[in-house]
Amino acid sequence: MNMLSKKSIVDAGSLEPEDIELILSNADSFLEISRRDVKKVPTLRGKTVINLFFEPSTRTRTSFEIAAKRLSADIINFSSSSSSLKKGESIIDTLKTILSMNVDLIVIRHSDSGTVKMIDRFVDIPVINAGDGKYQHPTQALLDLYTIQKRFGKFEGLKVAIVGDFLDSRVARSDMDLFEKMGMEVTIVAPTMFLPEDYSEMNVRHNIDEVIKDTDILYILRMQLERQDRKFYPSVMEYNRFLTLDMKRLEEMKPGSVVMHPGPVNRGTEITDEVMDVGGTLGEKIAIEEQVTYGVAIRMAILYLILG
Amino acid sequence: MAKNEKKNILIKSGTIIDPAKGNEFVSDIYIKDGIIAGIKENIKTGEDDAVKIDAEGLIVSPGFVDMHVHLRDPGSEDEETIETGALAAVKGGVTTVACMPNTNPAIDSDALVKYILEKSQDAACSILPVAAMTRDLKGKDITGMGILSETGAAGFSDDGKCVADSRVMYEIMRYSTQFGLPLILHEEDCFLSEGGLMHEGHYSSMLGLEGISSLSENVMIARDIMLARKSGARIHITHLSTRGGVEMIKKAKGEGLNITCDVTPHHLFFNDSYLTSFNTNLKVKPPIRSEEDRKALLSGVKEGVIDAIASDHAPHLDTEKNTTFKLASFGTIGLETLFAAAYTKLCLEEKMSISQLVNSITILPAKILGIDAGKIEVGKTANITVIDTDAEEEIKRESFISKSKNSAFIGQKLKGKIIYTISKGKLAYMSK
Ligand SMILES: [Zn+2]
Ligand SMILES: [Zn+2]
Repeated sequence: MNMLSKKSIVDAGSLEPEDIELILSNADSFLEISRRDVKKVPTLRGKTVINLFFEPSTRTRTSFEIAAKRLSADIINFSSSSSSLKKGESIIDTLKTILSMNVDLIVIRHSDSGTVKMIDRFVDIPVINAGDGKYQHPTQALLDLYTIQKRFGKFEGLKVAIVGDFLDSRVARSDMDLFEKMGMEVTIVAPTMFLPEDYSEMNVRHNIDEVIKDTDILYILRMQLERQDRKFYPSVMEYNRFLTLDMKRLEEMKPGSVVMHPGPVNRGTEITDEVMDVGGTLGEKIAIEEQVTYGVAIRMAILYLILG
Repeated sequence: MAKNEKKNILIKSGTIIDPAKGNEFVSDIYIKDGIIAGIKENIKTGEDDAVKIDAEGLIVSPGFVDMHVHLRDPGSEDEETIETGALAAVKGGVTTVACMPNTNPAIDSDALVKYILEKSQDAACSILPVAAMTRDLKGKDITGMGILSETGAAGFSDDGKCVADSRVMYEIMRYSTQFGLPLILHEEDCFLSEGGLMHEGHYSSMLGLEGISSLSENVMIARDIMLARKSGARIHITHLSTRGGVEMIKKAKGEGLNITCDVTPHHLFFNDSYLTSFNTNLKVKPPIRSEEDRKALLSGVKEGVIDAIASDHAPHLDTEKNTTFKLASFGTIGLETLFAAAYTKLCLEEKMSISQLVNSITILPAKILGIDAGKIEVGKTANITVIDTDAEEEIKRESFISKSKNSAFIGQKLKGKIIYTISKGKLAYMSK
């Protein structure tokens, strides 16, 4: 029986506060299981989960796979590049095939915004959005929230700066929805080409130095400057000057503050090599590996709450 | 033509709206052999073979003129044909359709204009081919506008595209002054709109859908007003979607320029907040814009800045819409909902008079196209639409007779139902 208030998790914004609380509190017990010698419980024995990935992603797919396996569910991986799904060829047809296999839950990743919402309307079984286009990546936002909870023990009043390509980032969108919902103060740090035409209603800065000393959480987005649809951002050199986290900036961050990133990091673009490899107290600021660990616990909690 | 096809018709006691005379009165209309033979009270025909239409409490309007329609013929007859498009038109009360040239091949030659004219002869309504401004709509070589107008082109347009090269546009405008036909302009700076899927604004940012800035339309309207001012061309801005556009056209009209414009019912009906459903039938070009733009369009119609309402009927196969928002084609069908959608918003919500609405879908577009239509006159071929303004209907996919079903209005409740359409002198449509 589904213990969450909705059938599916399509976007972060529509998660109810009770759902969020339930997911985070359950994650704790699954985190404990993940640290045992035998990391498996029989909770979801007999259930079948399908990982339906229309866009390649090793990390998220693996995270869901491990989560399902630790709960003893059967997991099937189905990958199909969305580019091979041509116009006129329907995703619905692919789905019909999958539904006929009597699966209990679908995890979907797709390169086009809104696709998971569309699929959720079409199928009766629960759907978990594992990232669709530039729209949403709610489980990432939940694991980010969990990471923050583990570090700070609270949300209210924390200052978060999300740095990078806001416009094209489903992670930024989902995080912003959830962070604001939990009472955190979110600032977007981005150049104009990575912002909507009118950002007057948003809390925006253009230079990382404007937030670096004061922020509790520095959330750095993945930046693939060479993969812009149309190349509007001038150069990596320009990015390094205004937006990259380097040692000097890391040292300026206040005590207790953390650095987060959805991974994988493009070393040298959004974070320098030096920062990535730093040890000691400064190294403790980097929470990127924790995010990955917590990701499995969060996904176990979600699968359990929906299918358990 | 066999006599039973042109059976005489008597419309009893309807409320006639005659935009040409600007009045509204209750009367009978008698149609004999397809020609309006009499408009007066208590017509006694004494003939048994006259079809009697009881129009008491119903509106009797001239047949509508829809100046922006895609019939997909030739080239995409699986989406629509001249025949099916005309049937959809009369179901929507439309008796004259101007069809756009972005077919395959494009209507850019004498032969293709003739093809449309010939194929339209047996169609349920009158069809006027709009010819391309540039060869194959490529925005480069100007078509033989002289010969095309002699053959029967109703106007010129590169609809679906915009002539990016300002010099080419300027020469088109200058040349068009020799023939007096309107240039129907789809205003879109393709560099500003490239990759865009919906209106750039709060909702595009929220939904992670690439935006199309209002600037894309406004920049081109501004350019074309300047070119028209210099060339003296008669330009018509079609499917206006922005507040900025309404303001510029208002100013240009005030200045005395020969400029007109139209808006679609879907731009009057929806705003970009509806896109949160990712409904691909709302993926149109120009995009459904913000509430602020929609309000400006509504006032534009009420103030008369916007002359006409046209559907931009754009049929697409299910496979082109039943896909992701990104991959889906742009366009909604609109012939069958033209009146009801406009009536529901403009007359019921905005309290505009029904006669003003009728003007914008009859006499005004007829004037822009320079055709003798949109009137109810004795001695003329009967093109008449009978409407029940009280009838409400939830729009269902199954109710469309267009070959394509991609309507943005599916699921909406609309008021104002077409009960009868008399087109080309014949009873062409009767609601069940
Ligand atoms: Zn157009
Ligand atoms: Zn069009």
